[in-house]
Amino acid sequence: MQMLKLEILTPNGEIYNGSALSVTLPGEEGEFGVLAEHSSLCTLLEAGVIDIEKEDKSIESILINWGVVQVDEEKVIVLVEGAVAIRGENESEIAHALEEAKELIESIKDNSPAIAAVSAKIESAAQNLI
Amino acid sequence: MANLKDIQRQIKSVSNTQKTTRAMKLVSTAKLRRSEELAKRSRLYAAKMNQVIAEIAGRIKCNKVGGIDNRCFSEIDNPKTVDIIFVTADKGLCGGFNIQTIKAVKKLLAEYKEKNVKVRLRGIGKKGVEFFKYNEVELFDAVIDLSSKPDKERADNFIETSIEDFKDGKIDALHLVYNGYKNMLTQDLHVTKVLPVDASQFECEEVEKSMLEIEAQDDEKMLDSLVNRYVEFAMYYALIDSVAAEHSARMQAMDTATNNAKDMVKSLNVKFNKARQAAITTELIEIISGVESMK
Repeated sequence: MQMLKLEILTPNGEIYNGSALSVTLPGEEGEFGVLAEHSSLCTLLEAGVIDIEKEDKSIESILINWGVVQVDEEKVIVLVEGAVAIRGENESEIAHALEEAKELIESIKDNSPAIAAVSAKIESAAQNLI
Repeated sequence: MANLKDIQRQIKSVSNTQKTTRAMKLVSTAKLRRSEELAKRSRLYAAKMNQVIAEIAGRIKCNKVGGIDNRCFSEIDNPKTVDIIFVTADKGLCGGFNIQTIKAVKKLLAEYKEKNVKVRLRGIGKKGVEFFKYNEVELFDAVIDLSSKPDKERADNFIETSIEDFKDGKIDALHLVYNGYKNMLTQDLHVTKVLPVDASQFECEEVEKSMLEIEAQDDEKMLDSLVNRYVEFAMYYALIDSVAAEHSARMQAMDTATNNAKDMVKSLNVKFNKARQAAITTELIEIISGVESMK
């Protein structure tokens, strides 16, 4: 399967830069997946989880609070305001990431039901890693 | 011949100054490292953000994304009121860092004055604000301790007035003037037109290569929200870039000052030794001539 280039940038630096099989993004109008050679588009992202399917089929989850994505034929650039990657070498690192993610969720002001779903989603993502 | 005591006092005072400048240099070096790191991390994001915005602006200009009539993306031919936001340091002793920004602002002011455009000057940083106050140039508003301690929230609050006024049509352009960090030795003066988004560099031919679609049913909302973030981030980035530049400028200025002080102490030492030698010679002559007269 063809790979796509993915860059996820925050004001505090890069959080992901590499290739991926597919990426699922929390768009304003709902979640959407992007594969390699997707047609160009530009849209806003809302608070949610970006799921990156890597080459070895493992899935990495990154929580974001707001973002904008630009997709073109070659690559996907995601600019996000705040992000926490749910990853780590061992359980304690994952637990730490999860805590940070929860803090980020709390900092998101509006209390839509979607936020609750996000919180459940990162928990399950973390569970899968452990 | 200067008095020996006077020279000694001068040497002492210059070496004390040297101690101060050396300490200031060290402090700036340490602060520079921190602020440079912060600016470096944001640089990539800022660049990509500009790229995305420029591309959208270009496409709107070339009518690829049809039917969008957003004020932030269309050139305004005859501006009536414009906002100029400048960022200077709160402290001096950093060479030409502040004056460069001030000069650029003055140039921009003169340009607009010629065209009879009303300018609202908004200042960040004590040095620039004081300069314009002293010269009796009217400031729309001013913030003093933001440039030394950049804070995202305060920067957002500050810039919000300009964004809102631009969208309401109260102002027709927004300029941002600041001195940014280039490397340890040089600063880079930025005079950017933030709003409306500058699409002049975008070639329409490039658009043909790929199709861009703006997802989201209401484009206006998406563009609005994107522009807000873009301008807010541009402001914040200007602040952190300016801090890094300020420290690099100060480090350099203090380095030069330390070297100058060193040279001065050296030449004063020579002068002191000469004076001392002269005094000894005079004394000897006096003794010898005294002895001679006794014979």
